[in-house]
Amino acid sequence: MVVRMLEGWQDLPIEGVVEYCRDLVEDVDYPTVKRWRENGGKVVGRFQVYFPDEIVAAAGMLPLSVRGGSFEVSEAGAHFGGYLCSIVKTSLELALTQKIVLDMFVSHPICDSARNLAAVYGRNFDYPCEILYLPQNANSAHAITYLRGEYDRLKRDVEDVAGHRISDDDLRAAIVIFNENRRLLREMYAIRRDSPWLLAVDEAYVLMAVGGMVPRQEHNELLRYALDLVGKRTLQPQDRMRLVLEGGFCEQPPLDLLHTIGQFSYVVDDDLLIGSRWITEDVSTEGDPLGNLADAYLEHSSYSAVQHDLRKPKEKMLLDRIKDSGASAAIITAAKMCEPGLDEQVAYIKALDEEGVPYFVSEFEESMTSFDSLQIQLETFIENILFV
Amino acid sequence: MSSEQIKRVPATPDGGAETIVGRGNRDGNQLFREWYKELTTAPERGEKAAYVFVMGSLAELLRSFDLHTVFPEINGLQTAVRHASESYIADAEDYGYASDVCGYVKADVGLQMRGGDHPMGRIPPPAIAVYTNACNTYIKWAEIWERMYHVPIFTLDVPGSRMEGKRTWKGDADFDNDRRYVEGQVKELIGVLEGVTGKKFDIDKLRDHMGYANRMSVGFKRVVEVNKAVPALYNGVTDGTVYLGVANGFRGREEGAKYFEDLVEELEYKAANGIGTLHEEKYRLVFVGVPCYPIFRRFGEMFSKWGGEFVGSSYLWFASGGMNTGFEYDLDNPLESLAEGVLVTVRNAMDSMFYSDKMLVDMVEPYGIDGVVYHSIKSCRTVSTGLADNRLAVMKDADVGTLLLESDHMDSRVVSEAQLKNRVDAFFEGLATRKLIAERAS
Amino acid sequence: MSYAAGVDVGSTQTKAIIIDEDRRIVGRALIDTGANVTIAAEHAYEVALRDGDIHEEKEAVGFIVGTGYGRYKVTFGDTQTTEISCHGRGAVHMFPATRTVLDMGGQDTKAIKVNPNGEILDFSMNDKCAAGTGRFLGAASTALEIPLDELGPTSLRSERPVKISTTCTVFAESEILSWLGKGKKVEDILFGVHQSVAGRAIGLLRRVGIEQDVAFTGGVARNIGMVKALEELLGFPIYVSEESHFMGALGAALFAMDHVKSRQAPSKLMGVTA
Repeated sequence: MVVRMLEGWQDLPIEGVVEYCRDLVEDVDYPTVKRWRENGGKVVGRFQVYFPDEIVAAAGMLPLSVRGGSFEVSEAGAHFGGYLCSIVKTSLELALTQKIVLDMFVSHPICDSARNLAAVYGRNFDYPCEILYLPQNANSAHAITYLRGEYDRLKRDVEDVAGHRISDDDLRAAIVIFNENRRLLREMYAIRRDSPWLLAVDEAYVLMAVGGMVPRQEHNELLRYALDLVGKRTLQPQDRMRLVLEGGFCEQPPLDLLHTIGQFSYVVDDDLLIGSRWITEDVSTEGDPLGNLADAYLEHSSYSAVQHDLRKPKEKMLLDRIKDSGASAAIITAAKMCEPGLDEQVAYIKALDEEGVPYFVSEFEESMTSFDSLQIQLETFIENILFV
Repeated sequence: MSSEQIKRVPATPDGGAETIVGRGNRDGNQLFREWYKELTTAPERGEKAAYVFVMGSLAELLRSFDLHTVFPEINGLQTAVRHASESYIADAEDYGYASDVCGYVKADVGLQMRGGDHPMGRIPPPAIAVYTNACNTYIKWAEIWERMYHVPIFTLDVPGSRMEGKRTWKGDADFDNDRRYVEGQVKELIGVLEGVTGKKFDIDKLRDHMGYANRMSVGFKRVVEVNKAVPALYNGVTDGTVYLGVANGFRGREEGAKYFEDLVEELEYKAANGIGTLHEEKYRLVFVGVPCYPIFRRFGEMFSKWGGEFVGSSYLWFASGGMNTGFEYDLDNPLESLAEGVLVTVRNAMDSMFYSDKMLVDMVEPYGIDGVVYHSIKSCRTVSTGLADNRLAVMKDADVGTLLLESDHMDSRVVSEAQLKNRVDAFFEGLATRKLIAERAS
Repeated sequence: MSYAAGVDVGSTQTKAIIIDEDRRIVGRALIDTGANVTIAAEHAYEVALRDGDIHEEKEAVGFIVGTGYGRYKVTFGDTQTTEISCHGRGAVHMFPATRTVLDMGGQDTKAIKVNPNGEILDFSMNDKCAAGTGRFLGAASTALEIPLDELGPTSLRSERPVKISTTCTVFAESEILSWLGKGKKVEDILFGVHQSVAGRAIGLLRRVGIEQDVAFTGGVARNIGMVKALEELLGFPIYVSEESHFMGALGAALFAMDHVKSRQAPSKLMGVTA
C-alpha cells in the first residue's frame, strides 16, 4: 500500500514545516492514523518507551507511538484512580474515545503503571492487548537469547494481526528504514549540540514526534528536507545557557513548556522520546534480524530511568550526556506521579552536587497550561548561575 | 529444631480446642518476634543478610548459603502498624524523595539512614540484594542500596503473562524461552552468592530448603481454600497478614513448614466444628490490594462492625509470591525446578495483581462472596493502577457489591479515616439493599 | 398524625426536614453548622419543628434519622444512614425517573446509581482532592472577589470559556489570576472553572455508569452555571430542584418514615419500604 500520510509540507520554509508538524503532533484526532486506516491499513499501538517498531513495519502495519497528550480526560477517568501519572489516563482516553482505533496494543514492563495497561486495555477492547517483556536483567548472559525469543513471540502475534507472515527480508528492509530514521535523528541532535541557535528544543521535538504517527519512510523524507533547511538558517548565536533536559523519557512535557525553556536557554541534549533514539548505532542488516534487534537493544543503546543495567549507572550516564553536549547545567524534571522518574531525581541530584553541576528540579504534567511560575523560577536559576 | 521435637497438639474436640484455636496467630506472632531477634543479632555472629522482597524472595537458595533474608516491605509495614512510619518517611523526604514516591521505599531509606534502627529490632545492612521484577519499584529500590552500600544487586527477571487468557506452560516453546532465561539467571546468581558469602554452592542443602518450601506451599494453598467454610475460619486481611509474615520470613525453613501444617490442622478443626471468627458473619467479602496499615485494626473494624468478613484477599496471592498455587518443586532436579517454580509462582503473583478480575469472579460462587472491596493505594501503582477498571469488569460479570477505597498502606497523611468510614458505611447499606432486592425477587 | 424527621449535618450547613405520613414536607430548616455539630443538629431540628408548627407535639415525630458527616453527632436521632443512601432516596422521591444522582457539596462529590425504589446499586466519591467539588468554586469566588451565589449567573455571560488546567484547588487561585492578568473576561474564566468542575464530576459519574435520568443534588446544584456546564457536557437535561440542598435530609426523613410505617425496631437495614 503506498498512500502518503504527510502531504503539503514539501515546499514550506522550515518554520512552516515545524508548524505543520506541531499541528499534527497536537491534533488529538490523529489524522494520519485515520488516513492510514481509511486506506485499509492496520495499526499497532505501542506504549512508551522503546518498542521494536521494525517488526510491525515489516508486516506492513503502522506502529503508532501511544504517548498520551495534553488534554483533560473524561471517559478514562472512570478506569483509573487518582494517584496516577497523566499519560496512562490520556492514552486510554484516546483509545476509548476512538480518537485512535487500533488492531493491537502493546505495553512494556517499564514501570508499575505501564505494566498494568495490557490488562486494562484487554478488558476494554476486543483486539489483542499484550505486554512485551523487554528484559530487566540486561546483565545476564542469557538476556539476549531470551529477548530474541520474545521478539519472535511478538512477531508471531503481529503476524496473526497482519494476517500474513513476516520474512527475514521484510525485517531487514524495515531495519534499513529505521536505521536511516535514527541516523537522521542523531544528525538533528548533533545540530542541537553544535549550533543550538539553529533549532530550538520544541522545534526539534515536533520534527521528531511526527515519526511516531506515520510510516518512517515518510518521516525520513520530511526529516531530510527539514534538516537541510535548518542548516541553511541564518540565525545568530546568542549568549544563552546550554542545558540538558532530563525526565521526558515517557510522559512528554507540553510543547509550550519546551517552548518556554527554549526562549531563554539552549537545550543541547535531552531524553525526550528517548525510545525513538534508544538504539544508538545502525542495526546490522546481515544475518538474523531479530537477533540483531535484540543485540542492539541490549548492547548499543541509550539509558533511561526505566531500564536497569548495571553497566549504565544513570547518574554517570547523565553526567556523560552533560559533558558530551557541552552543557553547563541541567533541568531535572519528572512527570507528576512517575515513580521511576522521581526515584531517579534523588540520585541525579546527589551526583550533580558532587560534580558541581548546577541543576533545576521540577515536576510537570502533560496537560499543564500555565508556565508563568516555572518561567520565573527557571530564569532566576539561570541568572544566578550567570551572575555568580 | 526438628519437627519431631515440636510437640503436636492433638486435633480432638476434647481439650484440643483451647490450644488449637488461635494457635496460628499465637505461633505466628511468636515466630515473627524470633525472626527479628535473629536479624538483630546476626551481625554479632558474623552472619550476613540478603535484602529480598515478598514476590520471589528466592529464600530457598539464599538460605542454602546461610544468608538471612530481610524483607524491607515487612519492615515498612511494621513501622506503619506501630504508628511509626511518618518519621521514617519524613527523613527520606528530607533526603530528597518526593511525596509521590512509594511509602515502603521511603520508610526503608529512613531506616537505613538510622543504621537499621527499627521498632522490632535492628535490621542488618545488606550483603546483597536479590529481587525480581514483579514490582518495578523493587529494581529502583535496589539501585538505592547499591549506591548506599556498594553491594552486589541482582535482578532475577521473571517474564509475566503476556495477556489475559494466554498463559503458557511447560512444553510450550514460549514457556521454555522464559524458563531457560530464569534458569540461566539462577545459575548466574549462584556464582554471585558464592562470591558474596565465600561459600561453595551445596545442592543438597538447597534441596532441603526446597523441601521445606514445598511443605509450606502445600499448606498455604490449603489455607486459602479452606476458608470457603461458612462461617469463615479466619479473616483474610487481619489473620491473613500474620500468615503472610510467616510465609515470607520463614520461607524454606523447617519452622515455616511446621507452622503451615499446624495452621491447616487448626483451620480444618475449626471447619469441622463450625468455629468461625469472633463476630457474626453477615457478609462474605474479598479484599483486593494492600491493607491499610496505618489504621490496620480500625480499618478491619469498619467492616466487622457491619458483620463483614474478608474470607479471601488478593494480598494472600501476590504477597505470598504466588504460594497459593501450591507449586511443589521436583527435588530430583533442584535447579531446573527452582527456575520453573520461580517462573510459575512469581508470574502468578503478577497475574494476581494485573489480571485478578477473572480470579475474583471465579471466587464468587465457591466462597459465597457478597462483596469485593478494592483498596487502591497511592504508594503502589503495581497493585493499584488497574483496580478501578478491574472493579468495572467484575461488576459486569458477577452479581456482587463492590467498593473502591483510596488511601495508602504507609502514609497516614493520605489516610482519611472519616472518609473511608463514610464509604464503607454506604457500601454496607448497599449490600443490605442487594440482599433485600434478592429476597424480594425470590 | 405521625411524622418522621431527617437531619443532615454537613460540613458547612445543617439541614432538617420533617415529613408527614403522606411523605409531604411539613417543616424544614437550614442553618450554618458552625463549630459545635451536636448543637447545630439540635438547633436545625428545633427550627424545622417550628417551621412545621409541630414543636408543641414533638412526640408525634416517630423516628429521626441522622445523615451527613456529622450523623453520629445527631445524638437525639434513632439511627444513622450515610448521605449517599439518603441523596439517592431523596432524589428518586422527588424525580421518580432518576437512575443516576450527582450530589455536589462543599467538601465532596458523589455519583450514585439507584434503582426505581431509590435503593443504591453503586456509588463513587471523589478522592481526597477537592477538584470537582464546591470547594473549587470557592477558590474561584475568592480569587475573583465575586460572591458564591453570583458565580453561576456571571458565568452564563461567557462566550469563549477559558480552559482551566489545574485540578488543584490550591493552585486554582493563581491560575485564575494569571488568566485575569492576560486580559481574559471574568465570565469566561468563571465558565471555564465550571466546566473544569463539571468535567471531573462527569468522570465520577462514569465510574458508576451514566444512566438517564440524572438528578443533580447538593448545595452546588443551586448554581445555574454548573447546571449549564453539566448539561452541555452530558448532552441532555438534568433534574434540579429548588430544594436540592435538602435532598439528603429528605432522604433521611423518608427512611425514618419507613421505620414509622413498618413499626420496626431501629435497624440499619435500608430500603425498607412500607
